[in-house]
Amino acid sequence: MVKISVLQHAPAAHLPSRPGDPTPTSRNLDPLLHPFSRARERMRALNAAKMERIFAKPFVAALEGHVDAVETMARKPESLDMVASGSWDGGLILHDISRRTRVLHVEGAHKGKVSGVCFAGKDRLLSCGVDRNVKLWNIQQSTDDVDDDGAGPSVKRKPLNIFPGKAAFNSVDHHRSDPLFATASNLVQIWDETRKAAISDLTFPTSTETISAVRFNLSESSVLASIGSDRTFTLYDIRTGKAERRVVMQMSSNSLSWSPTFPTVLLLASEDHNLYTFDIRSLRTPTQIYKAHVAAVMSCDWSPTGTELVSGGWDRTVRIWKEGVGTAPEVYHTKRMQRVTSTLYTADARFVLSGSDDGNVRIWKAHASEKLGIITARERSAIEYRESLKERWKMDAEVGKVQRSRHIPKPVHKAGQLKRTMLEARRVKEERRRKHSRAGENKPKAERKKLVIAEQT
Amino acid sequence: MDSLIAKADALGPVAKRRKIYKDEHRKKSNGSSSRSAAPSDLTAGSVSIRTSVPKSLRPTSPPPENVPKYSHIKDRKLRTQLTRQSTWSARNKVLLKDAELLLTEEVGRIDVDGEMEKTWRVSQDEVINAAGQEAARGRKEWTLDGGPYRSKYTRNGRHIAVVGRKGHVATFDWQAGVLHTELQLRETCRDITFLHDHSHFAVAQQKYVYIYDRDGVELHQLKSHIEPTRLEFLPFHWLLASVGNSGYLKYQDTSTGQLLVEHRTKLGACTTMTQNTHNAVIHLGHQNGTVTLWTPNLPYPAVRLLSHLGPVVSVSVDPSTGGRYMASAGQDGTVKVWDCRNWKGAVRQWNARGGGGELEWSQKGTLAVTTGGSVNIYTKPSIQASFAGTVSPPLYLTHPIPHRPLSSARFCPFHDILTVGHSAGLSSILVPGSGEPNFDSAEADPFENKKARREREIKSLLDKIQPDMITLDPEFIGSLAPPPKLSTAVEGVHDVPFARLPRLERLRVQGKADETEGDDPVDDEGDEARPSKKSSHEEKEKKKMRGKNKSLKRYLRKQRKNVIDPRAIAVKAKLEKEREERRKERALANGAEKQKSSALDRFKRRT
Repeated sequence: MVKISVLQHAPAAHLPSRPGDPTPTSRNLDPLLHPFSRARERMRALNAAKMERIFAKPFVAALEGHVDAVETMARKPESLDMVASGSWDGGLILHDISRRTRVLHVEGAHKGKVSGVCFAGKDRLLSCGVDRNVKLWNIQQSTDDVDDDGAGPSVKRKPLNIFPGKAAFNSVDHHRSDPLFATASNLVQIWDETRKAAISDLTFPTSTETISAVRFNLSESSVLASIGSDRTFTLYDIRTGKAERRVVMQMSSNSLSWSPTFPTVLLLASEDHNLYTFDIRSLRTPTQIYKAHVAAVMSCDWSPTGTELVSGGWDRTVRIWKEGVGTAPEVYHTKRMQRVTSTLYTADARFVLSGSDDGNVRIWKAHASEKLGIITARERSAIEYRESLKERWKMDAEVGKVQRSRHIPKPVHKAGQLKRTMLEARRVKEERRRKHSRAGENKPKAERKKLVIAEQT
Repeated sequence: MDSLIAKADALGPVAKRRKIYKDEHRKKSNGSSSRSAAPSDLTAGSVSIRTSVPKSLRPTSPPPENVPKYSHIKDRKLRTQLTRQSTWSARNKVLLKDAELLLTEEVGRIDVDGEMEKTWRVSQDEVINAAGQEAARGRKEWTLDGGPYRSKYTRNGRHIAVVGRKGHVATFDWQAGVLHTELQLRETCRDITFLHDHSHFAVAQQKYVYIYDRDGVELHQLKSHIEPTRLEFLPFHWLLASVGNSGYLKYQDTSTGQLLVEHRTKLGACTTMTQNTHNAVIHLGHQNGTVTLWTPNLPYPAVRLLSHLGPVVSVSVDPSTGGRYMASAGQDGTVKVWDCRNWKGAVRQWNARGGGGELEWSQKGTLAVTTGGSVNIYTKPSIQASFAGTVSPPLYLTHPIPHRPLSSARFCPFHDILTVGHSAGLSSILVPGSGEPNFDSAEADPFENKKARREREIKSLLDKIQPDMITLDPEFIGSLAPPPKLSTAVEGVHDVPFARLPRLERLRVQGKADETEGDDPVDDEGDEARPSKKSSHEEKEKKKMRGKNKSLKRYLRKQRKNVIDPRAIAVKAKLEKEREERRKERALANGAEKQKSSALDRFKRRT
């Protein structure tokens, strides 16, 4: 007896049982039914990489108000939208970045430039200037701030308190919890909010430098670091009242920032176009060099997550780095943005602020192609799938090229070329010199070992 | 600041912390109870609990065995990543095997008991009686005027397009019985094919190829395809390939509309074409008995094969083995099965009675051969097993069709149906076991609705593969590039500075290159294993030297190696001593108890 069975599909199993139901789907993972799966996946990865570049529109808004370069910015602790900025014209503005409005605008807060701002607790703001004063402001909005037509304050706002100093101040930073703040002039001074005079002076015994920035550590809040014009950075402890360590480097630094998640890590924006992270447990070598700027780096800031950092440079670009990846950062620029003098991450790590020579504070997305607004679950899963595809195929020549390549302004590009040529020439010269000198006389030195000249205690 | 440093040390990475715990346990088991480090660990301990992956997110199945360990790689980060990747892929392979349990539909078959029963004695009437109601609808006879017919199914097997020699064209949904269009073109039509789905089809007419939409509206006249005889559509590349009486193979991109490339075969008029669905290579059969394989990026055939003594009548590629086997039929009446990886002679060949006819290989690997007035069907293991004689493999099914010539044979995808075109129309017969029972909705779904069809069209356009990716081996994408044959770095000769060397060469110069095999067993004494390897490398001496080869010279050179050098011995001894010391230190660090010194030690002999 012959047994015969013929394949048949029951339509009921493959059609929706009621109108409006989703159509049932079936899967068969046999690779023979999925020809060209690799080639198609690569194509999808290429499309994902291209889509990322298509949707990379990082610029969100420009906040106007200053008439000169924005020298300094600070974000309000425990707030997502309040950012203060101080400018060379002596103006001080408190921005609400989610509404893109000015909450507070003090014109002529200082004579000359405002060199530093920071928040002192909930509703007070500290600012220092080259007019040798530190001023404490109340930032709570009062009725006399706004006119009937909302134009701004009619009467000039008075500071709550003025702390006079002996030299021009370059930077101010407030203690995390205590009513103390530190200023940087030709020495680091610690002030109490309730007293007129500085309570202690911190200085390295042999230093005669000008301190350009000072920052308290975020977790061990009595430790602070400063950078000076003497190509140094110095670590102080206010409990001992002494400078603990000083490191002399090849070039001076322009800005510094403590890591928010890893308390011993310090980021320096250097005059030699690089950024450096140091672990203060071993100060001989930096843990990472971040190389991409083609001019001096003027400012830097960590993302609150500690995984990314932002830097702004004299080359008119803002760059966003991944922590521990020293090359190929994301680069932001616009035609009208001049030298970037201050940069800042917002507290939700989604946006980056840059203040530049043209007097604008610009808001950028931290991830250039991120979609703002509500994202549905399907969209989210599609985005995640695209991310994983890009990650998986990043070694493919074409996909990688799309992911890596960035358009940068011609002057920056040319400067980069020139810089590469110069470094290459220097390297070739070094190599030739080594070749024609006695063997083993001058050995090549690793780049990160060249940086620190001396470590002093 | 010291307190900061201390704190930072306390909050080290989690892995380190765990190690410390382990050490403590060991200490406790040894008997020495020291709880000095306990209070500082509390915070780290709590953090590590919170930061680890929750149990619900951890993979449930244990990691599969024999995953490569990559123990030879020194870089910890890289090693972890590689291990994680290979574990992941191994686990996926296991899961893939599990997923086969979820396939619901059963493949059709004919079972016989005993030697005396033969499957080929089973007639279509018996098959229909045994088949279910839905399956029995596949058996059809379409009596049509207008010459021998050819047909083509869509990729999901739902729609069929038929064309008669005299110009009768029809496309319809054969399952629902819905006619999409019927045209009388009134000129010779030689072939028809659907494009990406049933919404467009192309007809090879008297002079040119024409493209029609589902309603039969002529959309395009492809004037560059002159006197076409056969059409093929490559669905993943969106290419329409045609070959004609002039012997040109032309590729037209149907998504952009441009003629991609035309290859001159130089082998005259061609009436046989098929595609390998797994690598999109076009197979052509020619009048002089050769079969040529073409890709768009090569102006000459990738493979040229003399397969028959007369003209080639039909070629087909086996989709069930990933395009590994090809069958060809010639006018000389032979049918040959070829192994596409090794073209040296046919795997199997036999004579078909009544001259060669059309061939077609189904999804599950049954081969239909139309010869004379009947269709013969063979099944898989026997047609692909190599066999010396020219005896026909055991027949699976046969079905007589009295309307000669039989001009086409097409299996319907995902069904047990074979449609044979002949001079009086078309007849569909049931071939149990020829169709793939479980379809994948993401690829080709016979039951897909309008919305799904539209979405799939867009998706497949986005995933369209570039035509220059067509090669004989489709797996080259995403694999490593072969090592370059020209190396720039030759030690000392070219004088390339160190900084300009490629990275691998630099590592090699430094002695850091990883040249060990991946499947090495875990070596505890790596520093001992490596030199032995190197020395074995050195011992192997080339027999041929450049210049004058004198055996005496070689002999002398070898002699020199045996000279005992006191300096070398001293160095060796010193190294040995140092190694011994290091091992002792390691043993000490690992917790071996240092022997207590006694007063009598001073009388011990010093080693």
